[in-house]
Parts: sequence; C-alpha cells; structure tokens
Amino acid sequence: MSREEILSKVKTAFVSVLEHENFQLSDETTANDVDGWESITHMMIITEVEKTFNIKFKLMDLMNMNNVGDLINSIESELQA
Amino acid sequence: MEFVKRLQESIEKHVDHNVLCINGVFYTYQDFALEISKIRLAITTEIEDSEKLIGLVTNDDLLTYASIIALWLEGKAYVPVNPEVPFERNAKVFELTETKYVLDSSDNSVYKDYRVIASKGIVDTEINLTPKQFSGDQLAYILFTSGTTGLPKGVPITFDNVQALVGAIDVESTFNLIPSDRCLQMFELTFDFSVVTYLFPLLSGSCMYTIPKGAIKYFYIFKLINEEKLTVLTMVPSIINYLRPYFGEINAPDVRYCSFGGGALHSDIAKEWSDCLPNCKIFNYYGPTEFTVYSGFYPYHKNTDTKSHNGIIAIGTPQQDTLYLVVDENNEEVVIGETGELCLGGPQITPGYWKNEERNAQSFFMKNENGKSVRYYKTGDLCLKDEEGDFLYVGRADFQVKIRGYRVELAEIEFHAKFKSEQKVNMVALDITNALGNAELGLAIESEEFDSEYIFDYMKIKMPSYMIPMHVRFIKEFPHSINGKIDRKELRKHFNIN
Repeated sequence: MSREEILSKVKTAFVSVLEHENFQLSDETTANDVDGWESITHMMIITEVEKTFNIKFKLMDLMNMNNVGDLINSIESELQA
Repeated sequence: MEFVKRLQESIEKHVDHNVLCINGVFYTYQDFALEISKIRLAITTEIEDSEKLIGLVTNDDLLTYASIIALWLEGKAYVPVNPEVPFERNAKVFELTETKYVLDSSDNSVYKDYRVIASKGIVDTEINLTPKQFSGDQLAYILFTSGTTGLPKGVPITFDNVQALVGAIDVESTFNLIPSDRCLQMFELTFDFSVVTYLFPLLSGSCMYTIPKGAIKYFYIFKLINEEKLTVLTMVPSIINYLRPYFGEINAPDVRYCSFGGGALHSDIAKEWSDCLPNCKIFNYYGPTEFTVYSGFYPYHKNTDTKSHNGIIAIGTPQQDTLYLVVDENNEEVVIGETGELCLGGPQITPGYWKNEERNAQSFFMKNENGKSVRYYKTGDLCLKDEEGDFLYVGRADFQVKIRGYRVELAEIEFHAKFKSEQKVNMVALDITNALGNAELGLAIESEEFDSEYIFDYMKIKMPSYMIPMHVRFIKEFPHSINGKIDRKELRKHFNIN
C-alpha cells in the first residue's frame, strides 16, 4: 500500500470519528491543526485506524506519535511486520 | 503561615535540585527562587495591599508556578483562568471575584481591560522568600466549578484550609516525598487536584513533570514514566482506562506511589494497573474542591486491601481532623451499612461558595457533635459506612458527572444549549460510558432533526471543551418513567457510541 493510499484511509477514519471534513492531513499535521482532535478522539481515531488496517499499535509507537507523518510511518511498519 | 514558611525553607534548601521539567526543559529551585522574587517585587510595587484576589493565567511554565508562590508570600490569593477556556467564561470569573489585576506570562495578554502584570521579562532582583505576616483566614485561591444556572460556582479556600491539608498529609506516615522524587503534575492549575501535585513536591524539594498543553495526556504520561522514570504518580482514573489496552507493555518498577482521585476507581482495572507497578503503594483518595482537595483515602493493595462496592474501590477513612457523616434527607445520620449522602466536617472546609447565599444554605449545615457545633458540607456523593469503619462510594445524588476528572453539571450544558436554540424544544445532557469505561457527553434533543451546529458553536464560546457534548441525537419523543420524569436511562440507549 502506498503512503497516499494509507493517508486516504486515515482521512476516512478521522472523518468518521470527528464527524466533519474541515481539515487537510499532511505529514506535518498535528492535533492542534484539526478541530476536535484531542485526547478522547485520539483514542477513537487510533482504534478506527487499527480496525481499518487490521493492525495493533504498540504503546512505544503511540507514545512518540506527534503528527500524521508519525502515524503513517507506524502504520507502514505494522503492515510490513 | 507555617506551610508558606516551609515552602521558603524547602526552596532555599534545595537550590541545586530541579523543581520542574516542562516540555523536556529542566528548571532548578534556584531559577524558581529568582522568578518568585521578581514577580513578588512587581506585586508589591504595582498592587495595593488591600487588593487580595489576583487573576492568574495558567500557562504551562515556570513563571506561572512562581506567581502562585509569590502571591502566597504576600498573603494574596490566586484566581486561576485557563487560557484555553473561552475568554467570556474567564472574564465572568474575574467579574464575579472583582479581580482587577492579572498575572500573565503570555507574550501578548488578552486581558487588556485589566491591569496586567506581565511576569515575563521582569528585571533581576535579590532573592527574597521570607513570607509576610498575615492571617490564616485570608484566601489562598478561588476555583470555579460548573454551576447549574449557567454561572460558574466559586469555591474559596483559605490559608488555614491549606495548612490543615498539609498537616493531615504530614501525619500520614505511609506517604513521604523525598528530594529525589520525580512527580507527575498532569493537572491544569484551574483544577483543584493540581494543588496537591505542586504543593507536596515543592515542600519536599522534589521535581515535577508537567504535560504540555495539546499533548495526548495518557501517552505523554507513559512517556514520562518510561523515559524520565517518574517515582510518584497522581492521576484521575480515566488515564489508566485509556492506557488499559496497553498494560501488557507497561512495567514501571521506579514508581513508589500512585494516588488516584477525582473519580471512581474500579477494582478490576486497579488490580491490572497494580501489576504494572511492582514496587508501588496505591492510594485511592477522596475529596471535593470544597474540602481542599483531599479529605481521606483508602490504601489499596491488590492482594490484601481490595474493599469495594459494586466494583468501585472504597474511599476508606477520613484523614486527621476530618469528620465523615452519612445522612438521610433530613441531615440525620443513618445506621452503619445504610446508604446516604456523605458530609464532611473539619478545618479543611471552605468558608462557603463565593457570594452565593442560596447555594450555601443548601450545601452546608451545622450539627452538634459532643457539645461542639460542627459545620458540614454536603458532597452530593452517596456513600455507606461498613462495620470496620471504611466508607464506600455508591454514586452521585444529583445530575453532576465527572468528565476527565472535571465536575460537570449537566444542567449547565442544557441551559446554554436551550438558550441558544431557535427551536424551543426539550434537551437533555447525558453522560455515556464509552468502551474504555470513561464518560463522554451526549445531548438528546426532542425534535425532528435540524441543523444544530450553531448551538454547538455557541456552547464552545460559553464553556470549556470538556463540557461540549460529543454526540447529539434527535429523538421525536423522549421516554418517560411511570412517575412522569424523563427516563434518562432509556434515553442513554439512543447513544450507541461503542
């Protein structure tokens, strides 16, 4: 799966949790850039992403996830594992 | 004031120790002492002595903590406002307290209509931490919690109240901080739990680790435990609910103490969490803002001390000088084993809600105890006392809920939503438990579906983000119970959020 495909599926997960589409996602996007992305919704987004890709993140990865780029990197490495 | 004097002694004694770690940057007690002295000088030169309540913008920085201590050395109270909360609500807090001066470490203060003392960039001065003489009935802080009428409710706490808290924790021999401790300070300073997470480390010369605003709290906390080897954790239970799916990956042998408060601690998760912290003592604290943070605790141990009621860990016994009383609707004590409302008496009790006589008449009462008249605060929490003298938490008596440790009056949400709505229809705010066991807010609207976005936009300028419902459902007709009340239990079933 290419990074673009991953990003597009990630966007779908964000929309389904946040219930709006008023945001752009790029590697540098952080929680501060997206309305409604905070502690609770973050966990919901993580769960949604795990379901979409049928993967399970490790706490070590989640702990260092600071932007969408980090999220996609983690998805990529989980998909290869 | 003894504890303020002890703060001075601790800061002076530990100058070469770290006091705070904020976003990876460490500050020493020496840095802290200097900032306190600078801010203190600004306070004494710019604020008249008669002005006792001073606004404080709660940024996550050294200056904000230094401002609290500087105010206390001068016998003044801080009135904290969170910069992330809508300006309008913060302005309301200052209006209610008639606050004229605001200490603000922001680069550009938004409090233009007040006399702002910018705590950043004050010129150097001599270190002076000797507290002024002042009376213990002066206020140390005022915190505002959610109120039912749309107005936040002010809880003033005196220096004597804080002194009584410090005294009660001091005599507790099972909890002793030492200068080498690394303590979690995860709380926003407008939240009363923060008082114990900055005050006790400062009195012991320990180092506090804060959570940067905007960070995903529970993951950042794990990062601190893992990388900074924290030794003392003080948390709301919702944090471990979030971390629960990852407990298998957590092993933190450095943690000595883990204190919970601000919400119900469930026994199943407490046991699992305890397995992650092999060398740790766990305390389940209880206490409302009105009683200066903590009123007592239960010492949990996964094998030996697991007392619980309906899966919720006991709140144990009252601490030194505190009285617990479980009463019926006539404020008469109920018998052992019977459920009633928990009331608290003792030196940590607030003088009363800020300028709110009506509320004070409802929430406080006097009772004769062995010839002495004792003033009690009615917590709104339902509890029972068992044969061994332990108190067990049963539930809330009213429509107050806890969202991430914050107290929320559901009526306040309904008030703002109904006020703004053009459709004058029934609305009910509900707490809904998500898959992780945490409460989320929902708003049920008795109507055909309509565009409610403007109502939410309005609520966002009126209330902090944790009070904004995350789910909305339109229901043509609300379910009612036999006695004609809206059936909230039934209504909750419309929110299938998991």
